[in-house]
Amino acid sequence: MSGGPLIVQSDKTLLLEIEHPDAQACRLAIAPFAELERSPEHVHTYRLTPLGLWNARAAGHDAEGVVNALITYSRYPVPHALLVDVAETMDRYGRLQLINDPAHGLVLRAVDRVVLVEVAKSKKLAGMLGTKLDDDTIAVHPSERGRLKQALLKLGWPAEDLAGYVNGEAHPIELAEASADGGKPWTLRSYQREAVEAFWAGGSGVVVLPCGAGKTLVGAAAMAEAKATTLILVTNTVAGRQWKRELVARTSLTEAEIGEYSGERKEIRPVTIATYQVLTSRRGGAFTHLDLFGARDWGLVVYDEVHLLPAPIFRFTADLQARRRLGLTATLVREDGREGDVFSLIGPKRYDAPWKDIEQQGWIAPAKCTEVRVTLTEAERMAYATAEAEERYRMAATTRTKLPVVKALLDRHPGEQTLVIGGYIDQLHQLGEYLDAPIVQGSTTNRERERLFDAFRSGELQTLVISKVGNFSIDLPEAAVAVQVSGTFGSRQEEAQRLGRVLRPKADGRQAHFYTVVSRDTIDTEYAAHRQRFLAEQGYAYTIVDADDVLGPSLPSVD
Amino acid sequence: MTNSLADHLRALPDPALAALLQQRPDLVVPVPTDLAALAIRAQSRVSVARVLDSLDRFTLQVLDAARLTRDAAADTTNLDVILAMAAANARPPAPAAVHEAVQLLRSRLLLYGSDERLHVIGGIDEISPYPAGLGRPAAELDSRSAALCADPAKLRRTLLSAPPSARAILDRLAAGPPVGSVPPGALKAPPLGAENALPPDPTNGGAPTGSPVRWLVDHRLLISVSTGGSGRPGTVELPREVGLLLRRDTGALGPMPTDPPRVAAPPREPKAVDSAGAGQAMEVVRQAEALLEQLAAEPASVLRSGGLGVRDLRRLARALGLDEPTAALLLEAAHAAGLTGELEAPGVAAPRSGAEQQVLPSAGYEAWRAGSLAQRWEQLARAWLTMTRQPGLVGQRDDRDRPITVLSPEAERAGAPIARQAALSVLADLEPATAPTPDEVLELLDWRAPRRSRGREAAHREVLAEAATLGVTGLGALTSYGRLLLADTSTSEQRGADDPLGLHADGEASTAVRALDGLLPAPVDHFLVQADLTVVVPGPADPTLTAELDVVAEHESAGGASVHRVTPASVRRALDAGYSADDLHGLFTRRSRTPVPQGLTYLVDDVARRHGGLRVGATGAYLRSDDEALLGEVLADRRLEVLALRRLAPTVLITPAPVNRMLATLREAGYAPVPEDATGAAVLTRPRTRRAPARSPGTTRTVDPLATPRLPMPRLLGMVEQIRRGDAATRAARQAPALLRGQEGAKAAHRHTDALAVLQQAVRDKALVWVGYVDAHGATASRLVRPVSIGAGYLRAEDERTEMLHTFALHRVAAAVLAD
Repeated sequence: MSGGPLIVQSDKTLLLEIEHPDAQACRLAIAPFAELERSPEHVHTYRLTPLGLWNARAAGHDAEGVVNALITYSRYPVPHALLVDVAETMDRYGRLQLINDPAHGLVLRAVDRVVLVEVAKSKKLAGMLGTKLDDDTIAVHPSERGRLKQALLKLGWPAEDLAGYVNGEAHPIELAEASADGGKPWTLRSYQREAVEAFWAGGSGVVVLPCGAGKTLVGAAAMAEAKATTLILVTNTVAGRQWKRELVARTSLTEAEIGEYSGERKEIRPVTIATYQVLTSRRGGAFTHLDLFGARDWGLVVYDEVHLLPAPIFRFTADLQARRRLGLTATLVREDGREGDVFSLIGPKRYDAPWKDIEQQGWIAPAKCTEVRVTLTEAERMAYATAEAEERYRMAATTRTKLPVVKALLDRHPGEQTLVIGGYIDQLHQLGEYLDAPIVQGSTTNRERERLFDAFRSGELQTLVISKVGNFSIDLPEAAVAVQVSGTFGSRQEEAQRLGRVLRPKADGRQAHFYTVVSRDTIDTEYAAHRQRFLAEQGYAYTIVDADDVLGPSLPSVD
Repeated sequence: MTNSLADHLRALPDPALAALLQQRPDLVVPVPTDLAALAIRAQSRVSVARVLDSLDRFTLQVLDAARLTRDAAADTTNLDVILAMAAANARPPAPAAVHEAVQLLRSRLLLYGSDERLHVIGGIDEISPYPAGLGRPAAELDSRSAALCADPAKLRRTLLSAPPSARAILDRLAAGPPVGSVPPGALKAPPLGAENALPPDPTNGGAPTGSPVRWLVDHRLLISVSTGGSGRPGTVELPREVGLLLRRDTGALGPMPTDPPRVAAPPREPKAVDSAGAGQAMEVVRQAEALLEQLAAEPASVLRSGGLGVRDLRRLARALGLDEPTAALLLEAAHAAGLTGELEAPGVAAPRSGAEQQVLPSAGYEAWRAGSLAQRWEQLARAWLTMTRQPGLVGQRDDRDRPITVLSPEAERAGAPIARQAALSVLADLEPATAPTPDEVLELLDWRAPRRSRGREAAHREVLAEAATLGVTGLGALTSYGRLLLADTSTSEQRGADDPLGLHADGEASTAVRALDGLLPAPVDHFLVQADLTVVVPGPADPTLTAELDVVAEHESAGGASVHRVTPASVRRALDAGYSADDLHGLFTRRSRTPVPQGLTYLVDDVARRHGGLRVGATGAYLRSDDEALLGEVLADRRLEVLALRRLAPTVLITPAPVNRMLATLREAGYAPVPEDATGAAVLTRPRTRRAPARSPGTTRTVDPLATPRLPMPRLLGMVEQIRRGDAATRAARQAPALLRGQEGAKAAHRHTDALAVLQQAVRDKALVWVGYVDAHGATASRLVRPVSIGAGYLRAEDERTEMLHTFALHRVAAAVLAD
């Protein structure tokens, strides 16, 4: 028994006790092959998956090293069968290779002939493989590269993709580390640098960083590395404009070089920013804007908020396997469970850092999460009790009792930039009236949004009430307090994204506050617990307080 | 020859005879009456095969040499010719090794006599008719062939002239076995006039040869033993002389390595081996427990033909995330360890075919579960070592092409423990932490006991795989505690023999348990609680902690540590089981090493506050609550319409439905009612587990059911004395006085009166007497007895040979003569 920090479980999860003195060394040793699943305060959970192990193989780690790391840091004896399984799994990678043959183009070559025979017989690969060139080589249609890789992965014989990437149309892009407009000089943060390096070494993949940790800059740095025309896919127009602003400020790119491809404008420039919405819009059953992918010889495709990637984009992405792809997200949690597709089509997770680690380094603001429990009035309870099931959440979430509580919360933080976030428009209007604050919602025009956001950034506006549109990609650096009154049922990533709104580091290092107001003893509480799960797993412990404590000093107890 | 072996035995001093019996213990079960019987038994097919099975390859080769060098006339051989034959080998073994082997064969009574006149025991030729894979001498087969063999030069010439196809056949037969079958008709001469129609054979100078076998038979190099005919194949045999000539390059016996083959694999780090094995041991105990829990939750039915159905096995394996062979192995081992048993399925009593039997954890399982990890492992591993079952057969098909199911009688193999002992002892005899490949182990087994391991390769491979699964081996090498367990299993058997009264009962933990205990983590009695409501026990949990966590949290992940999650449902379950909110807070604070997160405290309070908010009565079923709003909610709940609730009072609802149904419906709808009894006290519900009656573990079987117990020397000497006495008696019996055998009517009466006098005298003198008497069928018989008393018309006398007291009617005694 070595007394190490790691406990290896039979279901292939690894428990890392972080108070242990060797925990940091162990984390570095297992990070290449194990995926971080949860990182609450005491024990982090990693998982050994075939994908993770193959990934490590692709990055040059061998089974012996993996086994050695497990044995070195494990506190208890590691079951022999698990070690054997790890070695066998890793051994499956690279038996097949995708390479560029000078004469035949893209081919699938076998290092182990038996595997090729087995794979070639599989029905899942029907139509993807071309003619057999010799015993060890089968031609592959270049367009099937993505689907073939996906299918081989499902068969358990992942191919090593040595065919490389097309460089795309070259275009000079540099990071302007001494800001072009004479602003204060800046450099990439260490973790951003590591993320870009990890991505570039792997060729394609996903970088997971907390909201507010500067994912845009990772994208910019990747573009500077590629020095080629780039297609950036974002969730909405406002986010696209923020990308544009950031790129102009942080790189050698000028406004003229960056195009916007959205519902309003259709520009195709060396760097083009397109929204998911416009790409997936159809006319007469056909996707009309697909030509964008072929419009230029893109050298890099960046997917912002990859956890929201709509299904049709997956299909287009399968055709883009020869191009470098970078996915950016704060949470690789997809409520639809399609994490696997992100993995095989965009690429494996290349970089991941626990939120709390980055917070400790000071790159995101420390945040205090509080759940405020509101007790319904008798009348409200009765109404709730007799409501139809589908109306219940709405009823519990939008109860009027929440209004004074929100106001009391705002009063606790005078002078701070505050966002009030909700999911129900009626409720937001009530709040807007009650708090006398403007509302940003789906129907607000882009211009009006920009105006309100600018006013908020400059400090003219202290409080802003926003709907679901505020979930993503709005850069409001000075927001320090967020109050959530209702949400989309139990969505975990929504909660994380909303917290992300207040995580931008504050100029004076102030603490950020995130409040979520829920109605006690209703379905609202249950959903809140589910929503908080991701953040709790990232180490954000919620404190629960009673609304009465918020509303005023509690009465001195008489008994 | 029988006589001469018996004489040889008779001439042996007692200790030598006893030593011999120790080597071949099967000869004294039961104790033979005399030495002649012993000699016959020593040459019986079964006994000889048994002793041959235990010999290594080299010793068997020396025995072959002894058989081959037997003088045809005297039927003896001598040490010098054996040595000469061994020395003629291409790589001759050391003469000392040959000496040793001969000595060994003597001690096993396969050879006997002096070095100059060595006899080979009978019975061997019956078991292996072809020593060293060589055929019978030509003289025994065919006179013309004998003539050919008598002329070495001619024999060599004939051999050289054999066409290549014929030569290939010869070489194959020379390698042994020396008999081959030929298709019917192959030996028939071609029809008259068609000789030239055969294809020309270029290797024979263009002349047609016909079939090569026919060529060989025609030239007397092969001898047709049976012609077969009518569609059946015939048989040919290669005479010994031809075989020896063909083997002249390698020597008559082939390569003769005196040492077992070496293991090429480099030794591993002993600590790494132990650690990997211990990890596996921990894992297998956990899996076994999970399997049995699964079985407890959903017992599996026993098929009519015995065993568990394929579907049940698959279900268990899937529930545990195991593959089916592992699940089968665990089930078999657990059953052999007495952890599962059969019980009639409750409720469904089929009137005709008898009640359905189910397999579920037995009462022994509770005791097992209370033991330490190492003890639990030892119980499983020991059961595996000694069980006469071969789990590897599960999933294969039997002779009638039906699948063999787990726990079915078809997987019973008496030889299984021997195979395990054999394969593992190979590992045990190597340097510690040596990890030979399975092939190397099989090779070693083949050298050690070629006759026993032949044809059991698959079983031996299974043993190695199962040992790895159970953690007896780690990284392919035997672990230190596995070695102890193995040694312990064989000594406990011996102890049973030396200590028939069980004076040294093993109350203390075995050495294997203690060794494994040192490798396994100590149980942990605390946990870490985190904000995401997971509870991590950083090590194997204390049984009391496990019991507590089973109630208050859902199990999430197991292994070295265990992860649990507290959910509203689990808290409600704990409250149902009688915990109060304060108990739960106390439990978490007491057990947790880290501060209890606020979220957990709130969760417990929230659930506890709502828990019991509804109370259900047994009298006609009522629903009461102090909370009117809540009752309003229940009353308005459409999902509860089936209960036909009616508001009895502002705080009480009633229903015509039975209590249980009401409870279930309410809970389904998400409420947390508590049943209460007539006095208004809450009725607590705790799940009760079903158990089959206790079953004693199957470990009482000895390792080798065929093996006889080891015999200590004093007992052996006692047996020798007994045999000798019997022998003397038998020989004496043959010399019964003529007086008794002759039955002349005239003198009969006279002798009868004489006899009475003789007998009375003999009673006084306590002397041995030959008694001739007429038995109930009128036949005369004689017996050597020592009279004890005469009276009431009967003679009572003791037969020393059988140690029995006989009673003779005096009127039937025909004669009596004092024995000399």
